[in-house]
Amino acid sequence: MRSTFMGLETAKRALFTQQSALHTTGHNIANANTPGYSRQRVNFGTTTPFAPAAMNRPQLPGQMGTGVEANSIQRVRDSFLDIQYRQESNKLGYWDSKSSAISEMENIVNEPTTNGLGAVMGEFWQSLQDLSVYPENDGARNVVLERGQSVVDTFHYLNDSLNQIKDNIGNEISVSLDSVNSLLQQIASVNSQISDVEPHGNIPNDLYDRRDTLVDELSGYIDIRVTSIKSEGDPADEAEGLYNISIVGANGKEEILVANKDYNQLGFSNGSGKLTTSTPDDVNQITIFSSDGKEIASKKLPLSDENGNLLFSQGRVRGLIESYGYSYQDSTGTTQVKGTYPEMLDNLDRLAYSFSQTFNAVHEKGIDLQGNTGQSFFGDLGTDHENASKRISMSDITSKEVAASTTTNADGDVNAGDGKNAVNLSNIQNWLMNETVTLDGFDGAESINLNDYNRLETASMNSFYEGVIGKLGVQGLQANRLAGNSEILKQSVEEKRMSVSSVSLDEEMTNMIQFQHAYNAAARNITMVDEMLDKIINGMGLVGR
Amino acid sequence: MRVTQSMLSSNMLRNLTQSYEKMGKQQEQIATQKKISRPSDDPVVAMKGVLYRRNLTEVEQYKRNFSEAYNWVENADSSLDKANQAMQRLRELLVQTSNDTYDAEQRKATRAEVEQLKEHLEEIGNTKFGDKYLFNGTDTTNKPLDVANGVYPENNESVEIELSKGVHIKVNIDGTSVFSQEMFDDIDNIIATLEDENTTGDDINNFLTNMDTHMTNLSNERSSLGARYNRIELMDSRVSEQEVIATRVMSDNEDIDFEKVITDMKVQESVHRAALSVGSRIIQPSLMDFLR
Repeated sequence: MRSTFMGLETAKRALFTQQSALHTTGHNIANANTPGYSRQRVNFGTTTPFAPAAMNRPQLPGQMGTGVEANSIQRVRDSFLDIQYRQESNKLGYWDSKSSAISEMENIVNEPTTNGLGAVMGEFWQSLQDLSVYPENDGARNVVLERGQSVVDTFHYLNDSLNQIKDNIGNEISVSLDSVNSLLQQIASVNSQISDVEPHGNIPNDLYDRRDTLVDELSGYIDIRVTSIKSEGDPADEAEGLYNISIVGANGKEEILVANKDYNQLGFSNGSGKLTTSTPDDVNQITIFSSDGKEIASKKLPLSDENGNLLFSQGRVRGLIESYGYSYQDSTGTTQVKGTYPEMLDNLDRLAYSFSQTFNAVHEKGIDLQGNTGQSFFGDLGTDHENASKRISMSDITSKEVAASTTTNADGDVNAGDGKNAVNLSNIQNWLMNETVTLDGFDGAESINLNDYNRLETASMNSFYEGVIGKLGVQGLQANRLAGNSEILKQSVEEKRMSVSSVSLDEEMTNMIQFQHAYNAAARNITMVDEMLDKIINGMGLVGR
Repeated sequence: MRVTQSMLSSNMLRNLTQSYEKMGKQQEQIATQKKISRPSDDPVVAMKGVLYRRNLTEVEQYKRNFSEAYNWVENADSSLDKANQAMQRLRELLVQTSNDTYDAEQRKATRAEVEQLKEHLEEIGNTKFGDKYLFNGTDTTNKPLDVANGVYPENNESVEIELSKGVHIKVNIDGTSVFSQEMFDDIDNIIATLEDENTTGDDINNFLTNMDTHMTNLSNERSSLGARYNRIELMDSRVSEQEVIATRVMSDNEDIDFEKVITDMKVQESVHRAALSVGSRIIQPSLMDFLR
């Protein structure tokens, strides 16, 4: 036998359930513009019918439905799209940081223009040609000195500016690691909140959203793998569990960074065993620190293998490290340095070294206006080209001491009208640096073995410089192109994700009307039951009265 | 596919940004007149740009060297022309005075002119332009001639100017053969002979052969100078052509096609206008506006 008031109960359930759907609609509308929010849906389900199957069940014709209930409130989201989004965001982080680092380098190198190193050196060679035509002229000689000084200044400027930007990139690495650590901490903290809720069978949708937004952000910095672990207690079927996050290296190796409520941090090891994110001059590894900032000795992430191939996790941090430079031990145990900025600086050093040393060698063969053999024109850089673009300087030389000539007369005085050594000097730019050249204009055969000053391998100074610019251009083009591509891919995944998860106001309005009408109808149902009961209680049993 | 308002508006924003980016690039191209402004815009154009600029600078430098070469050659030629006239006059005087009808007095009068001619030749030998003596080889800062003190040109080194890659042209003449000590000694002998009252026409006649040798030396130098002048002129016109070519190649490589960029810009402008006006329609009235 069913209850008299069962109809009221059924209608009341309907009221509550439609109300909860209306509240969820309200929540969706309210968060239509919240970043990272995914729309939520109330999963309706019928309640257990009457009578349930049992030994002593009442004899009824079939089962009576007892109404509706909200089984769960679920966010509408496709986790496969999340994985795709994070992959693209990871690539974008990497290429974006590379592209901006190279673009800053291009701003400084400033080629092809009339102000770059190429042009300044061109002017210097020109001034030597002018000198070869007016070797006795003090003006022409002074111009050579001035132009030589501007070549030196340009090398210094390039070296300073590139180093400055390199330092800025170093700061950016620190800031990025700080962000990574903060994100890891926040994810662990959201994990902890979720772990408080889930065991009771509740589903903290908004916390999931918050956590996914944090993970999205983290994926831009490093390549991560997310695995979810079921909460303890009695979680609902739809519960997403706790995220474990590991960093994935290019060699496929993973290190765990967030496990449940615990997290680790990334930083540089400076021997103190304490966490520091300030970038050292020599970056060769990134170390994992515990959440209280202590170094975990067994967990170091090497940046590269012995051939200099980067092993570190893809992403923004790696892009920055690649630009900033990193060191590694090669198979013979020697420390090598690689990276966009160190390599450009090294190329400049090589050029500055070969340029000044070769120039000096030729200059020292010549004869100055006072009849003496030439002195060094640039300061001597020794045998090491390291930092040559910073160390290069003009030696203390007067205009009369520019050795433009090759011959002296019988009295040992210079032939002032002889500018053949100036021609030799102006030709240096085109000499292949691995050859021995014979100098023009000398009585005996004077030759110079350029290998002694060669840091450019088989190139001439001009072709070496052109090669450097060309390589910079190709690297920049590739970085810009791939940054653009990954941007487009990220956007397309983002759009797919929005298509699934973002709030459509029209849809919410339609739902609202639907739920409202259901609510109204349920209320009307109560009125109906009320009238029915009224009939039974007040309208019946009056027979014969 | 499910489409929501936020998707529409974020797409619209992105398209507008891209449109602005394109216009920015075109604006930059028009302002700089260059296809590229950084190597990564087009590495090939950039690399070639550096190379072509260098070629152009070189050619421009050679053009500059030409003016100095002309300076040398033309000044030397005009000096030699003067020297030649002086020698002609000297020869005329010798022929006249070798005539025995000339008496000692007349020969003495002639001697004064010969002395003047000798000084004139010395002056020509010391011709200077700018800071340089023309006829002292590479020793351009020292005076080649000081006959009174027995200084004669010693340096016969050639002054060479690079006028094209690896091509050095000699621009001076050999002062030691034109303004030689022998020549001045001969002139001194002529003067002494003219001074001498016992001189006969034959004595004077004997100098003619020597004078002819000196004149041949001079005209040899002058003709070789003339030949070099021709060569310089030829090279000049070739280098001028090269300059035009180098400029054109550089321009082809990196300058914009103005009509094209302006047209593209106009197209982009109308695309942008369209994007903006579409944008205003993206935010549509929603269902709410129709539900009462």
